[in-house]
Amino acid sequence: MSVLAERLINALGADAVHTEPEDLAVYSFDAYSEDRLPSAAVVPKDVREVTQVVRIAAECGEPIVARGAGTGLCGGAVPTHGGIVVSFARMNRILEIDTRNRRAKVEPGLINLDLSRATARDGLFYAPDPASQKVSSLGGNIATNAGGPHCLSYGTTTNHVVGLEYVDSRGEVVTVHQDDPGYDLAGVLVGSEGTLGIVTSIDVRLTRLPEAVRVCVATFGDVESASEAVSQVIGAGIVPIALEIMDKVITGAVEAAFKAGYPQDAGAVLLVEIAGLADDMDASEAAIAKVVRACGALSWRAARSQAERDLLWAARKGAAGAIGRLAPNYYIQDCVVPRTKLPVVMRKVEEIVRDHQLQVGNVFHAGDGNLHPLLLFDRSRPRDIQAVIEAGSQILQTCIDHGGTISGEHGIGYEKRESLGLLFSADDLATMGRVRDVFDPARRFNPDKIFPSSASCNEVRAAS
Amino acid sequence: MPRAKARANVYEIDGRRPTRVVEPTNEQEVADILRAADAAGDAVVPIGGGTLLGVGNPPRHYEIALSTLRLDSVHVYDHRDLTIGAGAGMTLGHLASLLAKHRQFVPLDAPRAAAATLGGTLAAGWLGPRRATYGRPRDLLIGTTTALADGTLAHAGGMVVKNVSGYDMSRLYVSSLGTLGVITRANLKILPMPAAFRLTVARLPEGTRARAAANVQGLDVEPTAALLIDGFREILPFELGAEGAILLAFEGSAAAIERATRSVRSALGSAGVPETRIIDTGAHQTFARTIDAYVASVAERSVTLRALGLPDGVLKREAAAREGIAPTAALLDTIVDLRCGDLIARVFVDGKLDQLAVRGTLSDAVAALRARLPDATVLARGLALEGDIDAWGTLPPAIDVMRDLKARFDPRATLAPGRFLGGI
Repeated sequence: MSVLAERLINALGADAVHTEPEDLAVYSFDAYSEDRLPSAAVVPKDVREVTQVVRIAAECGEPIVARGAGTGLCGGAVPTHGGIVVSFARMNRILEIDTRNRRAKVEPGLINLDLSRATARDGLFYAPDPASQKVSSLGGNIATNAGGPHCLSYGTTTNHVVGLEYVDSRGEVVTVHQDDPGYDLAGVLVGSEGTLGIVTSIDVRLTRLPEAVRVCVATFGDVESASEAVSQVIGAGIVPIALEIMDKVITGAVEAAFKAGYPQDAGAVLLVEIAGLADDMDASEAAIAKVVRACGALSWRAARSQAERDLLWAARKGAAGAIGRLAPNYYIQDCVVPRTKLPVVMRKVEEIVRDHQLQVGNVFHAGDGNLHPLLLFDRSRPRDIQAVIEAGSQILQTCIDHGGTISGEHGIGYEKRESLGLLFSADDLATMGRVRDVFDPARRFNPDKIFPSSASCNEVRAAS
Repeated sequence: MPRAKARANVYEIDGRRPTRVVEPTNEQEVADILRAADAAGDAVVPIGGGTLLGVGNPPRHYEIALSTLRLDSVHVYDHRDLTIGAGAGMTLGHLASLLAKHRQFVPLDAPRAAAATLGGTLAAGWLGPRRATYGRPRDLLIGTTTALADGTLAHAGGMVVKNVSGYDMSRLYVSSLGTLGVITRANLKILPMPAAFRLTVARLPEGTRARAAANVQGLDVEPTAALLIDGFREILPFELGAEGAILLAFEGSAAAIERATRSVRSALGSAGVPETRIIDTGAHQTFARTIDAYVASVAERSVTLRALGLPDGVLKREAAAREGIAPTAALLDTIVDLRCGDLIARVFVDGKLDQLAVRGTLSDAVAALRARLPDATVLARGLALEGDIDAWGTLPPAIDVMRDLKARFDPRATLAPGRFLGGI
């Protein structure tokens, strides 16, 4: 047995430490295409055990990768550098719900949707709702600053995190809270993809459930006109709770899987959710329908029941899974443009995909300008793989050219780290490196992630 | 570059004046000034409209006042995107009037908005009472350009509302009081203006305050701001009762506001409050004056502090503060924010005490307040602190990390040295 394994077992007990290759395989990948076996995987039960793991890692010179539910799409939880994977499967409790002050304290392994389920009886919910909310963990959501369809109105994860407890690179426990005076450390930890510390407890804001909710479906001839309608709705001063678009490829797949009632003959479907006071529902719906019709909508209807609303959303959130019916593999891109640029960028995406002789399905958070082209391919055909890589990077560049960014909610991870330099200058990256120097000078937390490999040792560290 | 002449008193902090004042006209000039000052060992204090100079301790030394007022251009604004990128020196008043042309607004409720700048408001970490609905200033910020002490111009974020590309550096600059860098440009999310805005104000008779506050917290239509106000009589455009007044702001559709008003009358009525006044005409002006009352009413012999907490404890805290203050010669005005859970307290000396006695009395009063509210920070003061009153309360648990960040960003302590907590 290695020294590392021995020390981990001494600290956590044999049942919390995995070192056999067949056990480690589970911890070698996430929802991205890379995999690499770690030296060990641990499943701590509390913050004290996490501090011990971090200290042992420091003494043995091993990197540490924190892992939530493994649903990340950019390789953020892949131990590309080996080392220790820390799983939060046992730290998944709700520690406190304070309904009066609308706060909850939870452990990072808690599944996102479980928090809303636990608070629904008090009329509260946790607003950030990534499509993976049934399986993804709050800790992972915090690492990537996860979004979701309802971010349009409620904001992303960072807007709902009020405090964090984390274990720093020396194995010390540090607490930060937004009401503390001083620098906003929680603000910079959220979205740092596990590169600054290991989060062990999270204070979140809960939101009052709206009194009334209405979900409507509009159809369009194509994605561009649906995108234009989104821009016009926002431009008219109306911000619904969600504005989502699915193209014909996606609605075909989700209908086959869910039979939710999405029309099959339209080029694109626009899903609109409004929420608020019951008194306002009719007027809000009428105002949006008017703008949408003026933009050439072929149809407009409101879901009639809670069951119908739930089904429409289940199908929308299950889109990525449903696409498995169409091709052996798919690659999902995640990038953002200013909303008004959606029609032109969507046209460009079509062109890029056509040039590479690929098929694409589009399902995206149109209200936020957050695109998700799903490029369909067959991994067994080398030509396909090359085409997907090229098309993916051209789509990113198109977004940057139109004032956008290279990730809206999935993170940079291992996948896009070389692309970060397209967006930021060496100075910008070096400034981020100063923060990393403070939190993790030895680069032990989740190495190989976020920052370009060329910058990781030189520019990003050359801060002083 | 242009240099302001004899306006140095505008830049006075605690009686200290800078050796010189610079007014750069673009971002590169800001960076160049910082690089040169850093090399020369001159301390630079970035200053916007000067409306929140009461936040923070006096600088350890103070050679250069760097005014951001000329960095006031719009960089990007397409109203259909609901975002704007503007220079840090743009005043909130100017920003509001630009956005109003398209019936849009940004919910940064800072005092003296006509003079307050975007960069200054963000850097001072100003928190307005509508943040429970619209988010904190940091939640509105989607990107920044910041000049660092060594002359680096660093960009973070961008012009899109969702972005997880690299660290969210903008968060770090908000409420850093200019000690990590000088924000030169800020990109913000903006919002469509609600159809209607209404204030309801009620005078609170003896014995009604606690119940009125509790009933308001259970309203079916949530106010965007809910304030219990006691004092500040010389500024506010409405009358106070024996236990002050309650002011509620509602925004939304006309139908929602009508329903809210019915609910408020019923909630306050059952708390024993006889009359609720509706302010529609001039509601925005009344609201602005209430925000100004937080800070701008700095009386000569006063110190204004803010303590953050949660609604649960806030009434008890406020009562405790009163008890703590009572034995001294100081008087107290308070604003309790029922939605966000903070207490704004202004202690002042009303009488003919001499300067020394005023200082001693205020110092005792702040100490008494901090005995109950250890984290209370100074927002404004009508006298120089001179070391007898620290602007910051208890140091946060992560102070060591903050010190390390300062050392990494500004190793020679060129930027606002000593203004921030813990001597940062």
